[in-house]
Amino acid sequence: MEVKHKKEKKEIKDQKNLLEWAVFWLSLLLVLSILAYLGYQTYHHKPTSPELSVQFWPEPTEMQPYRYHVEVENTGGETAESVQVEVVLQQDGKEVEKAELHLNFVPQESKREGWVNFSQKPATKSAVSARVASYQKP
Amino acid sequence: MKESLSRPVSQSLKEYARGITGGLLFSFPLLYTMEMWWAGFIASPAQLMLLVAVTYLLLLGYNRFAGMREDASWRSVFVDSVEEMGIGIALSFCVLLILNRITLYDMSVEEVMSKVVIEAMAVSIGVSVGTAQLGVNKEEDEQGSDSLKAEGGGQRGNQDRGKVATAVLALCGAILVGGNVAPTEEILMIAVEAEPVHVLLMALVSLLLGTVVVYFSDFKGTSPKMSGHLAYTILYDTCISYLIALGASAFVLWFFGRFDNMSFWNAFAQCITLGVIASLGASAGRLLIK
Repeated sequence: MEVKHKKEKKEIKDQKNLLEWAVFWLSLLLVLSILAYLGYQTYHHKPTSPELSVQFWPEPTEMQPYRYHVEVENTGGETAESVQVEVVLQQDGKEVEKAELHLNFVPQESKREGWVNFSQKPATKSAVSARVASYQKP
Repeated sequence: MKESLSRPVSQSLKEYARGITGGLLFSFPLLYTMEMWWAGFIASPAQLMLLVAVTYLLLLGYNRFAGMREDASWRSVFVDSVEEMGIGIALSFCVLLILNRITLYDMSVEEVMSKVVIEAMAVSIGVSVGTAQLGVNKEEDEQGSDSLKAEGGGQRGNQDRGKVATAVLALCGAILVGGNVAPTEEILMIAVEAEPVHVLLMALVSLLLGTVVVYFSDFKGTSPKMSGHLAYTILYDTCISYLIALGASAFVLWFFGRFDNMSFWNAFAQCITLGVIASLGASAGRLLIK
């Protein structure tokens, strides 16, 4: 009993109060859940190449009547850097106008968006087409 | 019984405040660096796990040799390191959210998590240093000067422990100071544009700085009788600091993908370039955070 008491006295400053224990357990939970998630990701991670898809729709404003909203989504397992998107306006099967959009990064499983403007009104809805022209490995 | 023995809440709140201040003070440059955000989504989950493990080891080392009282048990060192990491994660999440670098909708969990984790590791080392260094109270101060004396005259007694402590603190200093510029493109630019003579000069300057810092800080007032011994100690200390700084630089650069598809010369030049800053951290930073 005596010895135990002594030991307790020695560790007097190591005794944590409720607040500190709460912070500790919360932190432990946080760190462990992050590690678990990362471990799960590592186990299931397949280094697939970036898989980019482009969606676009008209979104006119007063000053920019022929504005298009462009959204690039990467469903692959790797980030794409310097993504170059070309949005082409066609008329009678010929290319009339080309707008380009440059995105610095499109991370895996993420979306990035931008807008392009044309100087003339597209004749039909299908007159506009978009594609990813190029990207590079980060 | 237990309640009466434990620390008052006000004191722990004060400590957390110090930790948070330190965490932000030392890591704001990194929270505002875009290469860090990019590294977040470029790094693979396995690399992030490695980073968490390495940071935890650094925290353990720092807390063991400088952050806490010398008689602190390993158990409380482990516990405190976990706490600091948790605070770091929470802080980094909040700051990135405020800076609009992460959003809770429209962004994948992976992206949010990897950005937060990368920044959090820098923040948690800052939290650890801040808790230990900002606002030292009287009692700790006395103990600090005691241990300083012990280390100054440290030829006797626990010399081995002193060497390990020096190495660990040098590593922490190198990471803390060198880490601030490591992710930037500037290191790469300087390294690839440098002529061999520049790289040589950088290496010499790092060694010179290291020697000067070690000579004028650690060994001031040592008796002239032991001059041979002194020269050896300074040489030894400088070399160890520089090697640790280079090792830390290499790890950080590798982590940020700076060695991918690089020739050996370019990778080496990058290590030396970053090594100038990291070695100052390893010698001078070590003394600051001691």
